[in-house]
Amino acid sequence: MIKAILVFNNHGKPRMSKFYQYYPEDMQQQIIRETFHLVSKRDDNVCNFLEGGSLIGGTDCKLIYRHYATLYFVFCVDSSESELGILDLVQVFVETLDKCFENVCELDLIFHVDKVHYILAELCMGGMVLETNMSEIMTRVEEQNKLEKSEAGISAAPARAVSAVKEMNIPQKFKDMKLPDLPNLKF
Amino acid sequence: MPAVKGEGMRGLAVFISDIRNCKSKEAEIKRINKELANIRSKFKGDKTLDGYQKKKYVCKLLFIFLLGHDIDFGHMEAVNLLSSNKYTEKQIGYLFISVLVSGTSELMKLVIQAIKEDIKARNPIFVCLALQCVANIGSREMAEALVTDIPKLLVSGDTIDSVKQSSALCLLRLLRTNSDLFNMSEWANRVIHLLNDQHMGVVTSATSLIENLVKKNAEDFKGCVPLAISRLSRIVTSSYTDLQDYTYYFVPAPWLSVKLLRLLQNYPPPDDPSLRVRLPECLETILNKAQEPPKSKKIQHSNAKNAVLFEAISLIIHMDNDPNLLVRACTQLGQFLQHRETNLRYLALESMCLLATSEFSHEAVKTHQETVISALKTERDVSVRQRAVDLLYAMCDRTNAQEIVAEMLAYLETADYSIREEMVLKVAILAEKYAVDYTWFVDTILNLIRVAGDYVSEEVWYRVIQIVINRDDVQGYAAKTVFEALQAPACHENMVKVGGYILGEFGNLIAGDPRSSPLVQFQLLHSKFHLCSPATRGLLLSTYVKFINLFPEIKPQIQEVFRSNNQVRNADVELQQRAIEYLQLTSVTSTDVLATVLEEMPAFPERESSILAKLKKKKPTAVKEEGEKPKTMPTAQVNSGATPDANVNVEPVASLFQTDPPSQAPAAPAATSDDLLGLSTPVATSAPPNALNNGGPPASAVLLDIFGDPTPAPPTSNNVGAGVVDEEHFNKFICKNSGVIFENNLLQVGMKSEYRQNLARVTLFYGNKTTTTFAAFLTEVSYPGDLKERLSVQLKDVDPTIEGGSQKQQILNSECISEFTIAPVLSFEFINNGAPQAFRVKLPLTVNKFLTPAVMNSEDFFNRWKSLSSPGQECQKIFKAQHPMDTETIKLKLLGFCLGVLDGVDPNPVNFVCASILHTRNQQIGCLVRLEPNNQAQMYRLTARCSKDSVSQTICDLLETQL
Repeated sequence: MIKAILVFNNHGKPRMSKFYQYYPEDMQQQIIRETFHLVSKRDDNVCNFLEGGSLIGGTDCKLIYRHYATLYFVFCVDSSESELGILDLVQVFVETLDKCFENVCELDLIFHVDKVHYILAELCMGGMVLETNMSEIMTRVEEQNKLEKSEAGISAAPARAVSAVKEMNIPQKFKDMKLPDLPNLKF
Repeated sequence: MPAVKGEGMRGLAVFISDIRNCKSKEAEIKRINKELANIRSKFKGDKTLDGYQKKKYVCKLLFIFLLGHDIDFGHMEAVNLLSSNKYTEKQIGYLFISVLVSGTSELMKLVIQAIKEDIKARNPIFVCLALQCVANIGSREMAEALVTDIPKLLVSGDTIDSVKQSSALCLLRLLRTNSDLFNMSEWANRVIHLLNDQHMGVVTSATSLIENLVKKNAEDFKGCVPLAISRLSRIVTSSYTDLQDYTYYFVPAPWLSVKLLRLLQNYPPPDDPSLRVRLPECLETILNKAQEPPKSKKIQHSNAKNAVLFEAISLIIHMDNDPNLLVRACTQLGQFLQHRETNLRYLALESMCLLATSEFSHEAVKTHQETVISALKTERDVSVRQRAVDLLYAMCDRTNAQEIVAEMLAYLETADYSIREEMVLKVAILAEKYAVDYTWFVDTILNLIRVAGDYVSEEVWYRVIQIVINRDDVQGYAAKTVFEALQAPACHENMVKVGGYILGEFGNLIAGDPRSSPLVQFQLLHSKFHLCSPATRGLLLSTYVKFINLFPEIKPQIQEVFRSNNQVRNADVELQQRAIEYLQLTSVTSTDVLATVLEEMPAFPERESSILAKLKKKKPTAVKEEGEKPKTMPTAQVNSGATPDANVNVEPVASLFQTDPPSQAPAAPAATSDDLLGLSTPVATSAPPNALNNGGPPASAVLLDIFGDPTPAPPTSNNVGAGVVDEEHFNKFICKNSGVIFENNLLQVGMKSEYRQNLARVTLFYGNKTTTTFAAFLTEVSYPGDLKERLSVQLKDVDPTIEGGSQKQQILNSECISEFTIAPVLSFEFINNGAPQAFRVKLPLTVNKFLTPAVMNSEDFFNRWKSLSSPGQECQKIFKAQHPMDTETIKLKLLGFCLGVLDGVDPNPVNFVCASILHTRNQQIGCLVRLEPNNQAQMYRLTARCSKDSVSQTICDLLETQL
């Protein structure tokens, strides 16, 4: 089974974490740090598998990861999973994110934590692969969006109108924020 | 328009940007605290928040949590969101709960209520949300609440595909931790038939579920084998256009194929004639397809294709019955060994390790030896090199051992630090296992110490000494080689230890050569003395005293060393004591006595290499041997004297004085093992005779002190007739080895026992509690039923008179011949004040005492567990707890029961799984035990599986009385 899915950037900042096995919160943070430490020191063209850190399960745990531009996607799995199968699953996850966000980049993961979790929930459940067919996943995500939009149309509009008026200068603010130039994730 | 980007939440965006722009950790924390205060006040405020705002705040909290900060509020708001009828609010509520609320929260009742509502909802999206939440938390409470809903949802014809998929995995999640709640056998047939479902997604989820169920109960689900094979065959023969969206980069349903191939690895090769043809056909098709030219240059295509190939090879290895397929698999893996994709090289090395263990493909694997050796030298990635080491170890046999060991030794000089220790162990094992010529073995180990001394553990150098001592053909060679090795200007401390030990024993064999005359040997060793740790110095001091025996001519020089202030006033008491005692010993005793005391070490008994045991412990998966029985760690020595592999840090020579007890402080741990062979006097103590004369504590208290039992056994009345067997204390001894087994107002009988494999040594203490003498004291053992053929008990003689207030002891040796259920009875009779007395007591010699704990990993455990599935081999009991169900106490009891408790094997941490071996004279019987406590019901479920029928029953019966 998949024990955890971790996404962090080149500096080890967590961008998404999902644990399918219970670990206390501080342990979760330690696992992320340990995993980053193990993965980040590896060259780009070495193999994508390595034995897991001591915190998450030692010899019965493999880290299967891919490095895209600024982000590491790491799946911590036990010996019952096929390494290449999981490697492809990482790919499916990222491709799905890419379709949903159109050229996904690190910022998308930060600003849409909730969406990323919803997409992942369509892919994996309780540590097992739920669906691998990308068009099926997309259909389900779109169904949710439709529901969301129809609801937003009724109720959220007034609230948003108010907040838009209150913060007229927001677009300008955004430009002033000087976000680092982030390349899109490449395949 | 991107599918999900939509309108972002500006407040959230601004907050995140603020955090990202923080220059320091302090600034970040300040900003976060400000935001937390803001959200808290918003949640507490009277103004009702609308869905959008709640969602925004929850998202902020999630982000803060991701950065590693605790979130201790907002839970109630999230629970309220669950009962909203708006999807977006519900969704964010569930997300918050899944990420932040633990299964033990007091809010769980409300959450479960909401889940039960949503599972009945008409909109499948709502149902899926609820199922996801259950899968994320999966607490026992949830499982209890949904124990029928979820299986029904799974097999019902009305359920739509996406819900079926989710409910399969949701159920799997609950089964992992709460399997006792579900009786899946009644659903077996319907669950198995999900493998025929139209929807591939449903089949994928169902296969995961079934594999888990099969691991627990292979028999009930064996109907899945034909279905899985036919499904697999349909997939592998389909063209990539048939399965439409489930084709991934031209490979039809790779994930499902992998899962089906895994599922089949839980069963032996099928017996059914049609399946026996069909399955190999499938596997062959997969092998063929892997050879076809790629349909796409994309890496995803090759990954998916090879994922299926590797899994198929695993299944071929698992079945291990088709030489043709095995050799083909080996050839195809061989091609990957030089593939440009690192991942494939890694996996090929890993799979080949398994192939090397099959007799059909071992030779085929060996043809790739050169490639693997070059991988070891040229791979850039340490994880691949590690696999190459594993494979070399697996493919090694008598024909190529010399070459492989030489290559590994050469590589060791530059090897990564992370794998050195393991490599050292592997080299040491191979060198021993395949040594035809023991001089080669000695050379290899000394080379190991030279090249990677820091990584040579004690087991390794202990082992070389054991072997040298046991084989007189290499002793001279070993002495010569270590002498040469010690001449290097800088040599590793481990080399000094081996050198010191071997020269101390066999230095005389090379003393004829003037270049290694006694004095030269001594000076060479002593030149290293000052650079060594106290433990090594202690060993060297023992070497020196042995030199005095071997070479009387250098006695003055050696005594000078003992006498020097550096030794006799050393701050280290151990060194000081040795120096003083050795000095005295050599000054006072005659040469005859000295020669006896310092005699050459006796040969060590043959047993499993302690290095192998260490490697197994370090890396349980690394040691795979065909049909290997779980073996035990040698935890204590059987031989007299400290053997070199003593787990305790006793210097090997410290037991020189086994015949001279007063001075053997360092050899104390060895003393207990002496007992077993009856070589020295037992450790038992007798009551100080003056205790009573002084009007001190009564005799019974003295006895109790000896046994360290704080609660005295209540004296039973004298009217226990001779015909009645007293078993009042019997159950107390199932998990412990010493204490009072019988007591009345005349007499107290204590017992101390030790067990080694199939042997037991028991000391019985008879304490006279009266002031008058017991005369004609006589004891006898009787065997109820057929026990006599199963257990032998020998009583040593006992003194026929026991004076008032004194104590006598008796030794009892016992051997377990085969498994037994009834305990022997000890009867004793004597005359006190002219009245004859007779009593009988059931001796607490139970079969579990002959268990030795075994260590294995999860995979091994479950493989063995599954293989012990015939009806007689299993015994299960469900019973009420008689004692408090505290985890630590249970664990102690299991350990006391001589079971090896395995941590991290059972998916549910509350459960205990244990493995042990029952040693009998006739055979070794593997025993696996699983104990599932249910705290709420105060019940236990105990399951034992043993390789011999009837043992399971006995183990369960005995253990039940203890819980």
